[in-house]
Amino acid sequence: MIVDLLTGTVRAGTAVLYASLGELIAERAGVVNLGTEGSMLSGALGAFVVTAWTGNPWLGVLAGGLCGAMMSLVHAFLVITRNANQLASGLTVMFFAMGLTAFFGRGFVQTQIHGFEPWAVPLLSDIPFIGRIIFHHDPLTYISFILVPAIWYFLFKTRRGVILRATGEREDAVYANGLSPKFIRYLAVLAGGFLAGVGGAQLSIAYTHTWVENMTQGKGIVAVALVIFAAWRPIRAMLGAYLFGGAQALQLIVQQQGYDVSPYLLFMAPYVITIIALFIVERRRVSRVPEALSGVFTGSGGG
Amino acid sequence: MFGRGSQQMSAVKPERIPGQIVLEAKGLTIRFGSLTANDQVDLKVIAGQVHAVLGENGAGKSTLMKMLYGVYVPDEGTLSMDGKPVVLHPPAQARLHGIRMVFQDFRLVPALTVLDNIALAVATKGTRYSPKSMREEIAKVATRYRIDVNPDAYIWQLDLGQRQRVEILKALLSPDTRIVIFDEPTSVLTPHEVEAFLDMIQVLKKDGYGVLLITHKITEVMAVADCVTVLRQGKVTFSATKSEGFTESHLVETMMGAKPMPSIKRKEEVHRECLLDVKGLTVSGDHGQIVLEDVSFSLHRGEIVGVAGISGNGQRELVETLFGLRHTLTGNINLDGKDITNERPGVLLDMGMAFVSEDPVKESVIPGFTILEHMILGGLPMTPKGFGVDWGSTLRQLEESEDVRRLKLADPSRSASELSGGNIQRMVLSRALLRNPRLLLVSYPSRGLDIGTTKAVQQILSALADQGSTILLISEDLSELFELSDRLVVLANRQLLGPYHPLETDMHTIGRVMLKGESA
Amino acid sequence: MKALALQLRHPRPGLQWAATILGPLLAFALFLLISGANPIELYGMMIESVFGDWYGIGEVIIKSTPFILTALAAALPAKAGMINVGGEGQLALGALVATWSAVYLLSDMPGALGLPLMALFGALGGAVWAGIAGLLKTKGNMNETITTLLMNYIAFFTIGFFCQGILKDPASFNWPFSPPVAEQLRLPTFSVTSRAHIGIFIAVAVALLVWFVIYHTRLGFRIRTVGGNAEAARQAGINVKSIQLGVLIAAGAIAGLAGMIEISGIEERLRPTTGVNYGYLGFLASWMAWNHPLRLVVTALIIGTISVAGNSMEMNSGLPASSVQILMALVLFALLIMGRRKKA
Repeated sequence: MIVDLLTGTVRAGTAVLYASLGELIAERAGVVNLGTEGSMLSGALGAFVVTAWTGNPWLGVLAGGLCGAMMSLVHAFLVITRNANQLASGLTVMFFAMGLTAFFGRGFVQTQIHGFEPWAVPLLSDIPFIGRIIFHHDPLTYISFILVPAIWYFLFKTRRGVILRATGEREDAVYANGLSPKFIRYLAVLAGGFLAGVGGAQLSIAYTHTWVENMTQGKGIVAVALVIFAAWRPIRAMLGAYLFGGAQALQLIVQQQGYDVSPYLLFMAPYVITIIALFIVERRRVSRVPEALSGVFTGSGGG
Repeated sequence: MFGRGSQQMSAVKPERIPGQIVLEAKGLTIRFGSLTANDQVDLKVIAGQVHAVLGENGAGKSTLMKMLYGVYVPDEGTLSMDGKPVVLHPPAQARLHGIRMVFQDFRLVPALTVLDNIALAVATKGTRYSPKSMREEIAKVATRYRIDVNPDAYIWQLDLGQRQRVEILKALLSPDTRIVIFDEPTSVLTPHEVEAFLDMIQVLKKDGYGVLLITHKITEVMAVADCVTVLRQGKVTFSATKSEGFTESHLVETMMGAKPMPSIKRKEEVHRECLLDVKGLTVSGDHGQIVLEDVSFSLHRGEIVGVAGISGNGQRELVETLFGLRHTLTGNINLDGKDITNERPGVLLDMGMAFVSEDPVKESVIPGFTILEHMILGGLPMTPKGFGVDWGSTLRQLEESEDVRRLKLADPSRSASELSGGNIQRMVLSRALLRNPRLLLVSYPSRGLDIGTTKAVQQILSALADQGSTILLISEDLSELFELSDRLVVLANRQLLGPYHPLETDMHTIGRVMLKGESA
Repeated sequence: MKALALQLRHPRPGLQWAATILGPLLAFALFLLISGANPIELYGMMIESVFGDWYGIGEVIIKSTPFILTALAAALPAKAGMINVGGEGQLALGALVATWSAVYLLSDMPGALGLPLMALFGALGGAVWAGIAGLLKTKGNMNETITTLLMNYIAFFTIGFFCQGILKDPASFNWPFSPPVAEQLRLPTFSVTSRAHIGIFIAVAVALLVWFVIYHTRLGFRIRTVGGNAEAARQAGINVKSIQLGVLIAAGAIAGLAGMIEISGIEERLRPTTGVNYGYLGFLASWMAWNHPLRLVVTALIIGTISVAGNSMEMNSGLPASSVQILMALVLFALLIMGRRKKA
């Protein structure tokens, strides 16, 4: 059972992990994107539709990523070019995506697809205990394993990573060095949207193999919260995502085992755990919020 | 890929031939609304020479430099480099032409390391960034110019002098740099650091850099400048090369116009009753690091105690702790025999404390509120009228105050967010004085003020102490501290050193203590 | 040069406003065309459904009432420099506690006593919910934007839990909703031709009260000081944390009141979907009105109008309910694109 739980944790946490990593990149550049929820949702639908049409889940992932990026482009334009309020813009993008996906997704609710199936890595999956937990997943999960250190390397070990982080700290320092903070932010938000879209895709074509209206259920918002929990570090974002995933997996297992616990309590558990996790880190951390973000969260960001 | 200018780097000739005119500005004029910030300013920068631009605060020096660095576009006038007309806006363009600026408010990212900040500024070929070769580069330049900085330190860990060195490193590490602009470089340095800085300027000259030095300190001009331009209210009032000759007194005159400066006389006898007593105070800074360790001191009634120190040595944390804005780790604070450790600012205000923050623009201005509305925030009492505030009586009290008049406070109905730094300083000082405090904690009172108002502030503070109030004065201006203080203490290495008596010591001794602590 | 650039960046305001209003309508018309509907016919129907008779106007008033209150729940904290995106959950909890009180405590009470008590319970529910976020902020240093958002989801599942559990109507054939509240605990209507109830007066009265407190009292002055610059407020001896906590609790109470009004005025019973999206729409209404407690009444009415018009479109054209969300988002995008000067 513990193996099931941990396997389920990874499976359920991957979508949120992608979205968190994406949001982490955007926030490191100084943009909070509550529209991550919208990017995930459109990614989930885009990937599902393209997979249903072409039968090729890889094309689906690409489509999902692009849909997510397109949603985030709306946000990027509003907050970077038009200087709009980041939270209002993010919420509006979220609404927009909810409406659009519900509208265009109507015909796909019953559709069956052949999405990604778990694929056991030869040899490695035979390792007792660990093999089943880590090496028995869909391809998107494996990619996410690689993505975490890759993003860490990018952020902390390359000059572009330095530039990205500097943009989230001191815009004028970047500008004074002859670089365009706006351009960098656009790229970061688009990359974030793309990853959130892939996260959505994982949900629809790898995890559940279905499309349901509003199927992300706030996972994009959770991703934003987890980035704070993670103190803007990719490895910790992974931890947070699996914490959330673990609560979801637990809920499935409890239901399967037939314990008499209200499903509603189980549904809310991941959110409660996210808040508790945030509470614990906030209490002991000497907070290091990227400077450009602190304005957004204190109500002084954008008009 | 992120960079807009880095690819074209090789197009610039990094030649630095001493004696050659690199940059020439003619008739530069720029207006902000009705204010003409610079009016027909001419300026030449010559390779291997230092051109000092001298002027009081608000004379238009920074505006001029920002035009040369491409931040502002002049409304009139021409700029040329090597005899050819150039456009320097935006700053990326100016950088392309080899102009670098060491800003007064450094353009560094506190959350990144020195190395990261330099990587940010110095475009290397391709996008790879090799920390190893960059370290070697840094070491090379650092040795030549004797700039000592740890590349792995975070910027927030550095004091302002060290941060300045990082800025200078950034400029010198770019191979195409031809002109370096320094904006009030010595205002953050101790006397010893100033000497080191001036030595470094000499090396820069030798290496053929054109140096523009913005300053209001005449001694520095006399020490290093080959050429000086004096600005006053946006206009050039004097300009000369060393061979044409300029004297100290002449510079003073052209810089400020002739103004009599009354000196301050403090009463001789000092009350000896203890007002504030601090024992074993340990306080941590914003990043959890200890900034003050086991600090004890006391303040007496009717005295001014000056706190000297390189900024970033716990000045901010000290006053914030005394005023209840920051919690102590250990130790206790007694005001008039009452334990006020970790008491809320509201209570302390009621007990007769007043507080002037070191950064009033950021920490004291409520956007959209008028000056009058600011007066009841930690200043005048909030007089009730119905559910609201009796603004009429607040205004009367404000208008009746002699101190407020002398400080030349702007019209009380003006919105504070539109005020200049100097006017905000007047506002917060007026507010604290209106409180008629028993204990005034004041940081950098003369920041952003013209010489006349600075004198007025100093006289008012002195008179306030004569009436029995106690003042803890934090300043980076040693002459101000020496002039006003009955006793001096120094913050260095997490310790509070002293007291020293201004009459029994001198600025160099204090400077040495600031730099090296007690052992000096 | 400068003047030209300025003009390009700031076109004449009249033009800008026209584009802001017409832009989303045109975009949505295009969207309707693509989905095979006739936009002119639909717009005609929408206008008629809203302004055609008293019933339509009554519907707009009913719809706007909770938006006004949830907008106030966002505006009041905004004045203290906080971002409350939790109107959604606070309304839900208000509805839950109000329903619970109506079903278990007040069912036999006369309306004159029962209704105010039910309103109080509703406010209490919202206040407690917001108070948790407030405590997390003041004691735990947690950002209220994130906590209030997350708590919306928890609230959503909480009312689901009660609708399916102890508050479930025994006569409901397994549908997840509560029993109806007693007849005398329904808000009186003031019009025979529509469903409009007195909730709108309560909402406007609360808006006036908030406006008065914010701009004309010493407390409001302190709140605005905290909102303008929390550090400056601290230095002025204001207890920033208790102001923040108090303001969040008050905001929650207002949103909770909206929940009570929704139950007592319209819904009769608590459903898991009660008030879904009302909190977010209120937040956006408040933002559209620069968080001004009186101006937001107008923006809430605009959002209410779009909602009602959207419902009629749904009924008349067979387009799904989600189309309304798209129209709403387009309108908001237009406002966001137009941008606005920050006002204090």
